Order: sequence, then structure tokens, then C-alpha cells
Amino acid sequence: MSDRILTMSRAGREALDWEMERRPEIFCMGEDVFKFGGIFGTMDGFGAKYGPERVISTPISETGFIGMAVGAAMAGMHPVVDLAYIDFIGVCYNVLLNTASKTHYMSGGAVKVPMTLLIGTGGGYNNAAQHSQCLHATVAHIPGAKVVYPSNAYDAKGMLHTALRDENFVIFLTHKGTAGVGWMGTPIRTTLSEVPIEPYTVPFGKVRICRAGTDVTITGLGMSVHEALKAADALEKDGISAEVVDLRSLSPLDRDGILESVAKTGRLVVTDEDYLSFGVSGEVIATVVERDLSALRKPPIRVTTPDIPIPFSRPLEQAILPLAGRIAEAARRLMA
Amino acid sequence: MSELTDELRRGFWEVMTLSRAFDDAMIALYWEGKLPIFQFGAGPLPGELHCSNGAEPVGAGVCAALSPDDMITADHRPHHVAVARGVDLNRMAAELLGKKPGLSQGKGGHMHIYDPAVNFASSGIIAEGLGPAAGMALARRLQKRPGVAVAFIGEGAANQGAFHEVCNMVGLWKLPVIVVVQDNEWGVSTAKSESTAVERNADRASAYAMAGEWVGTNDPDDIYLAAVRAVARARAGEGGTILELKTARLTGHFMGDQQAYIPEQMKQVDPLPLYRAKLIRDGVMTAEEADAIEARAKERMARAMQFAKDAPYPDPREAFDHVFAGEAA
Amino acid sequence: MATDVIIPTDMWAEDDKTGSIVIWLYKDGAQVREGDIIAEVLVEKVTLELEAPTSGTLRIKVEPEVVVNKGDLVAVIE
Repeated sequence: MSDRILTMSRAGREALDWEMERRPEIFCMGEDVFKFGGIFGTMDGFGAKYGPERVISTPISETGFIGMAVGAAMAGMHPVVDLAYIDFIGVCYNVLLNTASKTHYMSGGAVKVPMTLLIGTGGGYNNAAQHSQCLHATVAHIPGAKVVYPSNAYDAKGMLHTALRDENFVIFLTHKGTAGVGWMGTPIRTTLSEVPIEPYTVPFGKVRICRAGTDVTITGLGMSVHEALKAADALEKDGISAEVVDLRSLSPLDRDGILESVAKTGRLVVTDEDYLSFGVSGEVIATVVERDLSALRKPPIRVTTPDIPIPFSRPLEQAILPLAGRIAEAARRLMA
Repeated sequence: MSELTDELRRGFWEVMTLSRAFDDAMIALYWEGKLPIFQFGAGPLPGELHCSNGAEPVGAGVCAALSPDDMITADHRPHHVAVARGVDLNRMAAELLGKKPGLSQGKGGHMHIYDPAVNFASSGIIAEGLGPAAGMALARRLQKRPGVAVAFIGEGAANQGAFHEVCNMVGLWKLPVIVVVQDNEWGVSTAKSESTAVERNADRASAYAMAGEWVGTNDPDDIYLAAVRAVARARAGEGGTILELKTARLTGHFMGDQQAYIPEQMKQVDPLPLYRAKLIRDGVMTAEEADAIEARAKERMARAMQFAKDAPYPDPREAFDHVFAGEAA
Repeated sequence: MATDVIIPTDMWAEDDKTGSIVIWLYKDGAQVREGDIIAEVLVEKVTLELEAPTSGTLRIKVEPEVVVNKGDLVAVIE
């Protein structure tokens, strides 16, 4: 380990830069990537370094340029596409749903679509209902798409290396609040990691135990990992030992890893900044219940964004986000 | 390359008769198991079937202007383009029947034809081939390899947002992309006049800094010459073309479409007898030669159909294969 | 011999604007090399990079989220 501490943004950029230096098939495209370097600065400075041929700023035409990325991937390239906010999948969802994810299958394996789609998720900064959503369940529901979701700098670098070496369509999600970019304030301490300078991979489909505990399992992903860690600090003062499990990867999902933790603690709080119904939180609970109902000593509790559009006003938004206070309260209920 | 030789024109007749033989054979098989009670999923050729009868000149004329390096995306009605491009006929037939030796091992069906050996792909979603075609052209530019990409769409697809987005980028970046708009006058039951504000989609090219060409004859000679011009512009770095070709849809949107909505004055003409007569009139071939070519096409298709019928189905467990590359199921 | 790490006077254009360190990219006491980016400084919505003026051991003097002006000493390198 080095003494070097990176934000997720810098860590991801390091992985992409390393791969781009060595692999001519990788190129970047998206709105404003040439001058602005992508939503999280993942391509910061790449315009000057790699030139406009490999760092392509596009018109505001998500269906068009993500469709083009699929074609480029089919023709031997590995596009890295920046879609900024996941709220915008509405204007290109067909490409994700029917083309990027299904071409390999519908061709019986004859055609590959190696591409990486970078998308920012989440709210908590008063950007209202059209720029604050998580929607990760909406993309994780697509067969044929890998969906990963690092929550710290070490994983951001390792998982982006993995994505760039994958032969498939990978949706690489980052919660805006975790990335460590200037417009989201001081980076959250638990998103920062000591990051080796040399390249390394972090495999998809393995949970990460961020904090070991014995009384209650709290699963999270993206920002909710950090809220869960804050809750675990508070719970520790009450003498409750919480284990925080970062799902990290939704497709594939490490179902064994989830069950292993719950089998140890017997109690489960599922946190998720996505909407409550028909999403990851239900999937986590179903995973446990289907595999071993006896693992649970109490019915699990979900702490998520409710099934309402994200409100703008600060007191309204703060009231509905799955923040540490709500998470800790749920854990205490399970311990009572 | 750009001259209409007798050999080339006989080739058009060969390709068009083979494409027609393919569709006619599939149509005949399609009704097996679906009479008297029609159900899409019944019979040896299940699912929807969108045949190309009437559009054969488009496939023959455009594909003759292309080279092996060039790339094609087609749509939900892909047979005439696939046959003209030289997609493996046996394996395409087997794919329509959902068989293991099919191009996609039975995972695609007739709307999803992929044959990387001839740079051919298709998609069942309207206008969905446009982005990938432009991306393939972009890939070749980045790879510093030659190649023109051709997206075959219908006139209905020109009203999709993807058409606007992709044509704009093709024009902006001068990509070597030809958008072949096959105007068969109908989007299912909606006439072009009921769906499209302009008479000709080729006129839209000026909005995208692309060239626009329109061919109204459904004759492979005219289509070929227009395609040659579009390909030459693309190869010369002059960018893309919207090439609108008036064509026909003789067997409806899909099998089972009675086309009762088509008024008498809009009844479409079969281009094959017209072209046959033209070649005989021009002295390119005799009636006997024309018939012999057609007979060979039918015989070739019969062998493909036999291959497909004899082929085994995939093992049901294979449904889980090919979700992701590089992984066992 | 210690070298001061100072917010450069040309780091941003307007003299009346202030910034704030949002993250030190090395721990206190870490070895840094001349030219390493050691901190991110946020000025309004723009993130700027602070480079190590020399090689040595980083001693952080100003924590993140504290207002800094051009010319302020924020660390020393020993």
C-alpha cells in the first residue's frame, strides 16, 4: 500500500488512463467529455492527452451515441461512454434494454459488445425529482447487462480495470455524492482509499465487508454504504455490533456473500437509496429467505427511498433519504 | 464497378429470385400448424414473420455496390438484404426454424440475423440499426481501416428519434454511412402520407449535411447506380447519404396481415416479372435462361430448407448460454 | 530543511476569491515527490490541484474545509 489517498474520481481516472495508454481499442464518448472530462472527471485531461478522435464530445443525443457505441463495440472497439445522470436513461433506454444487452445472446454468442457505460446516480443535494434518482434496479433488471457500483476509491479503480477488460456491456454506476468531485463538497471520508499506483482488478460479484460485526447485518450500495457505516458508528455506542456489507455489484450479485453475513448475525437491515418497491432491497431479502429462512431471527427491515418522486426542498428530501439515523433506528428495533 | 454490365444484371436476377425463393418457402412452411386456428407460436416456423417479397431489388442493388469490408445493419424485415449480402443461407433458414445450427443457435429468429463473416447484423426494434451502423463506421475510422456502413430501415423508421440523432452525427462527423430508407409506403397499417410530414425522406438529408437521393422505380439497375454514387461519396470522405428507395411490401407487414386497409389504387406491383421482362427485352438473357436461374434459386432454397428441417433443436439447457461472453452458463 | 507549501498566487485568477482544500491526497507524514499532486483545492465549483514544490515528508498544516487565500501556507515538506 502507498500513502496515497485518492477520491473515487481520481482512482477511476487512473484505471481508465492506464488502459487507454495501452489499448487503442478504448475510446471515450459522451456529452462534454473532451473539455469537461465526464461527470466525475473520469476523463479529466484526456482531451488534451488523447485528442478529439479518442475523446469524443457528442451532441445531446443519447440514443444516437450510445447506439453508436454498441456498433463500435461490435466492430472491435471498447467504447467508454459517459451518460452523466442515470435519470437520463429514459432517452436511451432502448439501446440499453434491447441492443447493448441482447446482441451477444441473440447472435448465439457470435457477436460481442464490450463497452463500459459510466453513469452517476443519486440525490441528497437538492436537485429534485429528475436529477436525483438511483434507478439502479431499473438497469440491473436487464438480462445481459453487468451492473457494478463501487463505493470507495480502491474498488472504483479495481472495478473499472475489470470493466475495461470485460467482453460484455458493463454499466458502471457511481453515486454522485461518493465520487469526490468538487461540486459535491468535501469527499466523504469512507469513500477515500489508499490506492496502489500499479493496476489491479477487483472482481465483479463479490460483496465487500466494510465493517465486521456480530449483531446485525446492514447491506448497502453506493451512498447507502456510507450512511450504514455512520449508523454502525452510532450503534457501537449503544453496544450494538453492526456488520456493513457493500453489495458492490448487482449483476452478478453475490447472494452467498449476503447470506453468509446474515447467517452470522441473524438480523438484516437492507438500505438502498433507490425506490422501495420492486428493487434491490426486495431482491436482497428474497435471496436470504429463499436460501435459508432460518437464518433470520427477526423479519428484516428495509430503509430506502419511499415510492415517491424525490422532492426538491431540503427538509423534504432529507426526510425521505435512507440516512444513518433511520438505519440505526431500524437496527435498534431489530435488537429490541 | 459502376457500370451496369450484363453479368451484374443477371446477378441481380439471381439474387432476387433466391431471396423470393427464400421467402416463398418460409411462407409456405409458416402456415403449417397454424390452420385453421392461427397462433403465432404454433408450427415449425413460429413467431412473427416479416417477409421481403417486393423489396428484393433493394437488397440486390445496394449490396452489389458494397465490398466485403463494408458493414450492414438491417431491420425486422431483413431477408432480402441478408440473401443479397451472402449470409449463409442454410444457417439462416435453420435460424428461422429455431434450430441448433442456425446462425444464432436458435436464439435470434428471423428478425435477429447476425453473420459476422459478412459483417451483417439486424435488429427487430424500429430504427435501432442506425446507431450501431454509424458506430461501426466510427470504429473503422478509429482503426484506420476502410469500410462503409449501411443501415437499412423502413420509411416508418425515419420518424424515430434515433434517425434524427444519428443522421445529425453522421453529417457532423462526415461518417461513411448510408441510410437506406426503404419506402414500401406502409408502417404496418399506417400510410407514409399519414405519418410523414414530407413526401420524401431523402429531402431530410439537407438538415443533416448529408446527401439525399431518391429512386422511385424499385428497379435494381437504378438502385445499384444510386448506391454506387453513395458509396463513392462515403469512400471519398464526403460523408453520408440518405438513400430513399421506393419499394414494395407484397405480403403485408407480417404473415396474417390481410392488408384490407390498402385501397385499390395503392395496390403494389411485383418488381420481379418487370425486371425479368426488362432483361429479356434488353437481350441480357433469354426467357429460358431467366427460368433456369429461377429454378436454380428454388432448388438452392429447397436444399437450405431441407438442411433446416433436418437440423436438431438446441438442448433446452442452452437457453442459459451466451447471456455473457467469456463465461460458462 | 523545510519547504513551505503555499497556495500559489496564480492558482486562480481573481484575488478576492477564496478557496478551500477538499482533500489531502497523501497522509500527514507521507513521502511525496516534487510534482506530485498532493491536494485538491476547491474554488467555487472548480477543483484545482496543488503540487508538491519539492520532495520529502509532508506535514499538513491546514485541514480540509478551512478557507484559504492565495499565498497561505498550508503544509511544509521536510
